[in-house]
Amino acid sequence: MSLLSLRHLTTEFYSGGRWLEAVSDVSFDLLPGEILGLVGESGCGKSTIAYSVMRLLASNARISGGEVWLGDVNLTDASEDALQDLRGSRLSMIFQDPMTALDSLFTVGHQVIETLQEHLALDPPAARERALDLLRQVGIPAAEERLKAYPYQFSGGMSQRIALAIAISCHPQVLIADEPTTALDVTIQAQILHLIRRLLVEEQGAGVLLITHDLGVVAQVCDRVAVMYAGKIVEFGAVDAIFRDPLHPYTQALLNSLPSQGIQRGALENIRGRVPSLDDRPTGCRFHPRCPHALAICREEAPPLLRRDGGQEVACVLYD
Amino acid sequence: MSSTINGAEPLLRAVGLSKHFPLESSLLATLRGAEAQTVKAVEAVSLDVTAGQTLAIVGESGSGKSTLGRLLLRLMQPTTGQVLYQGNNIFRMNRRELSAFRRQAQIILQDPYASLNPRMRVGRIIREPLDIYREGTVAERNKRVDALLERVGLNSAHARAYPSELSGGQRQRVGIAAALALSPEIIIADEPTSSLDVSVQAQTLNLLAELQRDFNLTYVFITHDLGVVQHFSDRVAVMYLGKIVEEAPTETLFAAPQHPYTQVLFSAIPLPDPSRRVNWDLPKGEPPSPLDPPPGCHFHPRCPKVMSNCSTIAPRLEATAPGQRVACLLYADGAN
Repeated sequence: MSLLSLRHLTTEFYSGGRWLEAVSDVSFDLLPGEILGLVGESGCGKSTIAYSVMRLLASNARISGGEVWLGDVNLTDASEDALQDLRGSRLSMIFQDPMTALDSLFTVGHQVIETLQEHLALDPPAARERALDLLRQVGIPAAEERLKAYPYQFSGGMSQRIALAIAISCHPQVLIADEPTTALDVTIQAQILHLIRRLLVEEQGAGVLLITHDLGVVAQVCDRVAVMYAGKIVEFGAVDAIFRDPLHPYTQALLNSLPSQGIQRGALENIRGRVPSLDDRPTGCRFHPRCPHALAICREEAPPLLRRDGGQEVACVLYD
Repeated sequence: MSSTINGAEPLLRAVGLSKHFPLESSLLATLRGAEAQTVKAVEAVSLDVTAGQTLAIVGESGSGKSTLGRLLLRLMQPTTGQVLYQGNNIFRMNRRELSAFRRQAQIILQDPYASLNPRMRVGRIIREPLDIYREGTVAERNKRVDALLERVGLNSAHARAYPSELSGGQRQRVGIAAALALSPEIIIADEPTSSLDVSVQAQTLNLLAELQRDFNLTYVFITHDLGVVQHFSDRVAVMYLGKIVEEAPTETLFAAPQHPYTQVLFSAIPLPDPSRRVNWDLPKGEPPSPLDPPPGCHFHPRCPKVMSNCSTIAPRLEATAPGQRVACLLYADGAN
């Protein structure tokens, strides 16, 4: 019963005269009523997955393999018209910068109402009523007046609320949220994440794909998480299990590199070296040059993502 | 560990420090005799920075923490108040004294992409402070640059690179090397790791800790990341709309935050531990505009423990325990 299903998705970027894989053979299912976290450091391919699903890739990028299913629609071969219909209705997205989704030339009311009329065939008074209702739901004070305001008149947190109101206005089954709270203060972040869970997941049973670099956000709001490294999922499973018992050496290192009180100053785990660039991906397991447990075989064979007892999946020969 | 004002003269001390930015008012408003609006970015801040320690200044956008950092280095003039460096008011220093102070007090900025001159090679960037202060011969300066690069985990080959050829973490190391060039006593770091990935952040924090140990450096960390604060600082000052609302040793503050804002802030941090859940309901509303802060305690409209006189009385920062100061009527004498 998956809402969104990625099957062996591979996405490439054209650079320096050749195609380079940014996302390699990624598969997972997003279930109704869950928030699935996609976590990893810069360049791991997490945002590229989002743009591949939305079919909003830049002109120098292409999906070169695999499929993405939204229910019974294969998004990878859907026409632009069909996609246009789906985006904003069954499939929605919010971005790190809410201004990406807002047009600075039109009032907020105009933009919310336009979306409603386009996708839900509401008459103008009904659309206006619904817009007001949405603004109140996302916590905009004095909604009636704020409908007449322009995006620049809103703070970052308020703009993200508006973007969220537009994104949920047509009851999407799937919301893709790409670092939605990264630019916000923590108290506002908590409010927005809470809204996403309450309005979409709990009240409507939608699925949310939450892309973030923040392991704290993952721990607090996600049900399951996919940990990505250099274009691949290295570990996948329930958030509770992965934070309690991380299996992949990269996940372990990532969690141990987080600053906290328990660790002596200056003794955070150092992952040696750095994330490889797209044109310099190591053979075998892509983490092996930085892995403290690397074996000879890690250089040659890319380990598949295998399910272990208890349901956690990990791509590492240590667990073969 | 937990050190306080223990008789020893602090290295750096702010006394009643305020910075008000006037807003441009329209000609019409001026003609009508309207009062010019000001933003009180920093308001009556007093605090001590102890040598060899890390003081963290935390707060959300608009809290004034970065303005405070710049005042501490005399990168801008205050509206009122003083900053004492080893007892001398930095705003009263003459050229020679100021030049000596600037050697001792350096800054590291958040965005190594923006803070390094893209047209200068890394070696030049690090050498520039040495050139300005005419430290030794050119050959000696270049040698010092190589030593500094080595010290921050880079090598002499990086001296020939342009900032654009380096990763974010490497650029931050260049920023750190440049700050270290004149062997300062104190470094003010404004969100030094905020734009870095966690693994790179860990490397950078480890480096800063090592440098602190080796050179007995004093740090002022301006940050919104409470994980970094908890891990790296000895004392913490929490700011809200230009004022310090609470100040305490790090362990004390995290064990028992007293100001309702500190409590709300801490409860909103997403901890990387699913078994310790965030309280989603606590933070209410948005921070008000610094242009028009609420009367009395600036936090009262969002405060879960607000009392009737909070909208009229601005609470003073007062000691509630050894080393801990709180600005809240809940803890004021005679409040109960």
